[in-house]
Amino acid sequence: MNERRPEYKVTGSRRKWAVLAVLTLAAAGLASPWASGRPDGLERVAEDLGFLGREAAVHSFSPMPGYEVAGIPWEAVRTGLAGLIGAVVMAVLLWTALRALARRR
Amino acid sequence: MHIPDGYLSMEVWTATTVAGAAAAGYALRRTRTALAQPQVPAAALAGAFIFAAQMLNFPIAGGTSGHFLGSALAAILFGPWAAAVIMSAVLIIQAVLFHDGGITALGANILCTAIIGSFAGYGVYQAGLRLLKGRLQAAASFAAAWVSIVAASCGVALLLALSGAAPLSAALPAMLGWHALIGIGEGLITMAAAAYLTERRTSLAREGAFA
Repeated sequence: MNERRPEYKVTGSRRKWAVLAVLTLAAAGLASPWASGRPDGLERVAEDLGFLGREAAVHSFSPMPGYEVAGIPWEAVRTGLAGLIGAVVMAVLLWTALRALARRR
Repeated sequence: MHIPDGYLSMEVWTATTVAGAAAAGYALRRTRTALAQPQVPAAALAGAFIFAAQMLNFPIAGGTSGHFLGSALAAILFGPWAAAVIMSAVLIIQAVLFHDGGITALGANILCTAIIGSFAGYGVYQAGLRLLKGRLQAAASFAAAWVSIVAASCGVALLLALSGAAPLSAALPAMLGWHALIGIGEGLITMAAAAYLTERRTSLAREGAFA
C-alpha cells in the first residue's frame, strides 16, 4: 500500500468543540421536551409481540425517573432541567474518569 | 433501545450482568493505552452530546419513534475501547439517574450498545475507509452507524428470545425492521457529526511509509 491515503483525525479546533457544547446544552435543555413521545423501536416490538407486560421495576431510587425533575409545574421545564443536569453529570463523570485513566505523554 | 427490568429472564440477566461487567472492566483497561490525555475533554464532551442527543426521539413510520445511539460516532472519534467506556457511562447514568434502562438489564444493554454497537461501528468505518481509499468519509460513517444500531438491535432480539419473551423468529425481524429505519437517522446524525469533528489529513499510509 504505497499510496497516499487521507486520514481523519479528531479536530483540535476549540471553536468546533465549543459549538458541540452549545448544541449539547440546547438539545438537553431546550429541544428535549419536544421529543417524540411515541414508543421507540424496542417498546414497539414489545407491544406487537406481547411482552410489554414483562416490564417490572426492581428499584425506585432514580432521582429523575422518565427524565423529569419532580416538583416543577411546567412539563417542559421538568424535562429540560433533567436533560441539562444529565448532560453536565455526563461530562463531569467522563472527564474525571477518563483523566484518571488515559495515558500521559 | 434500552432494555428495562423484567424483559430478561433471571438466567439471561445474571449471565449478561457478569459478561457486561467483565467487558466494561476490560474496556476500561484498554482505554488506559487507547486514549491520550489531550483527548479527554473532547471524549467527555462527546459523551455529554451523545446523552443529550439520545433524549431526542424522532418519529419514524407507523406510530413509532427512534433515537440516536451514538456508539458508532464515539468509535469513529475515539476508537472502540474508549467508545465502549463512553457508552457504558451513558447507560449507567441513564439507568441510575433517569430510570431509563433496567438495573438488572444494565449488563445486557452494555453488551448490546456499548460493546456490539461500538465494535460493529468501528469495524465498518475502518473497512469503509479502506474500501473507498479514504475518500467519501461520509459514506463510511453512515454505513458504520447504520450497521452499529442494527447489530445492537439483533443482540437485543437474541437476548429477548433467550429469555423466552418472544421467539427469535418473531423478535429478530421485528427488531431488525424498526432499527433498519431508525438506522437512517443514526446514519445521518453520525455522518454530520463525524464530518464536523474530524479533519482530513493526507499522509503516507503507515504500511507504506517506510517501504
